[in-house]
Amino acid sequence: MEAFFTKSEQVQSIIKGFNLTKTLFVSSIIIGEPNIGKKSLVRYLFPEAPLVSGINQEEVEAALLEYDELIITDFEKLSNQESLNLDNKRIIATANYVGNQQTIDTLFAFIYMMPSFKERPEDTAYIRDLFIKEALSDLMIEESDFSAEEIPLNLNHNSKTLKRSIYKHLMNYSMDEKSIQESIYHYILKHLEGNNGYKEYLGLYEKPLIEAGLKKFGSQLQLSQVLGINRNTLRKKIHEHNID
Amino acid sequence: MNTISIDFQKFLDWDNSPFILFSSSGKILYLNNAAEILFGYVSKKELYDLTLAYAPQTFGYKTTTLSLNYDSFSFYAITVGYEDEDQISIRFYNAPRIKSVTPIERDKLVSTDINLLLEANIALFKTKNTNTLQLLTDPDIPSFKIDQNRFSKLLRKTLDAFRASDSIHITLKLLVGEHVIISGKKKSIVQLSIEANGRYNDTDEEIHTIAAQSHITLLLKERTIKLEIPLIQD
Repeated sequence: MEAFFTKSEQVQSIIKGFNLTKTLFVSSIIIGEPNIGKKSLVRYLFPEAPLVSGINQEEVEAALLEYDELIITDFEKLSNQESLNLDNKRIIATANYVGNQQTIDTLFAFIYMMPSFKERPEDTAYIRDLFIKEALSDLMIEESDFSAEEIPLNLNHNSKTLKRSIYKHLMNYSMDEKSIQESIYHYILKHLEGNNGYKEYLGLYEKPLIEAGLKKFGSQLQLSQVLGINRNTLRKKIHEHNID
Repeated sequence: MNTISIDFQKFLDWDNSPFILFSSSGKILYLNNAAEILFGYVSKKELYDLTLAYAPQTFGYKTTTLSLNYDSFSFYAITVGYEDEDQISIRFYNAPRIKSVTPIERDKLVSTDINLLLEANIALFKTKNTNTLQLLTDPDIPSFKIDQNRFSKLLRKTLDAFRASDSIHITLKLLVGEHVIISGKKKSIVQLSIEANGRYNDTDEEIHTIAAQSHITLLLKERTIKLEIPLIQD
């Protein structure tokens, strides 16, 4: 059986509720933002149950006639919710949003709201580490000394953007000189125009150079020595690029 | 006029409708058996105040139609009367118990451990609320036939009424010695009582509807909801 990890009390209560009603003929629905693990949770709880998607209305209707136990994903996509008969069956549905509150209330005995990753920091850390492992192997990067906590995580669309921010970070982190040059090459190829190009695109190199330098060496005086430029020139450039 | 005196007191004693005779100071001079049970749920003062409030303006008797509820008692009218300054009487008219017309849908009833449904609903409640709950249950209640889906809905809505309450006490027990007649057969009663410092009543009507469909007797009070569930096993 696939494992499902959670430290969130709310999600644990959902699991508890399902474990208690597993053998009963009740209809339940899990509602929550996209990509927060609703389907994984249901699959973990009901590994054998047939699964249909609300995207295909006819398939759902046929499955309801055929099975006593059924998982219906994307329930919000069904346009004929009112006419469904979920009585005396074990129905487990998932939906990204409620839609018609009244209908959901009538159809389902158990209505669970699953919290998003923003509300589950410990689960986020767990899934982040999973994605990092996956990304390291996908991108064929040797694990090195980077710290997982430093990766800026984008949770706006839950696991989807979380995954993307990890891949992006790891790609950036592992780039060698040639790859950096290649990315800049493609970027400039796409954007270069006008009559002040040299100055405009110099920032691509200067800004990260100064930012990283300041982080590494602390003071402007020291950095100017490392860079081998005048301190006033450095100060001017810091101002130019709006670096704090 | 015939002077033979007939003693009607026994008839009054055994009348199913409560009857109370108060003195002018609110002392109880007489009460029948039904009134004695009623006093288990409402104070003497409250009933005396009610009597005075509905008394006719001069000597005589006045019947007022109104809706009164004390726990499982409900009355549709009262008659208040007095013939002198010393005594005043009140009689309550029992509202007819509405017999559920919905037949039991036997094909939907599945033998179920009610504790499972209760605990699952408490787990659901806990995903939405942080209030503390105290559960006192009788694990020896036998499995009995329940429409699992509908009963779960009823539990969800009932618990939701306590979503903002403190010190929620849930008690599940078998009512000893009380029975309900379902399809001509005597059934034991399992009582689920939820009590707190207060509750919402916005869904009382829905709770009422689902309870009626499930042949469950419902007692809705300011701070309590009680469900009396028939223990159907055959």
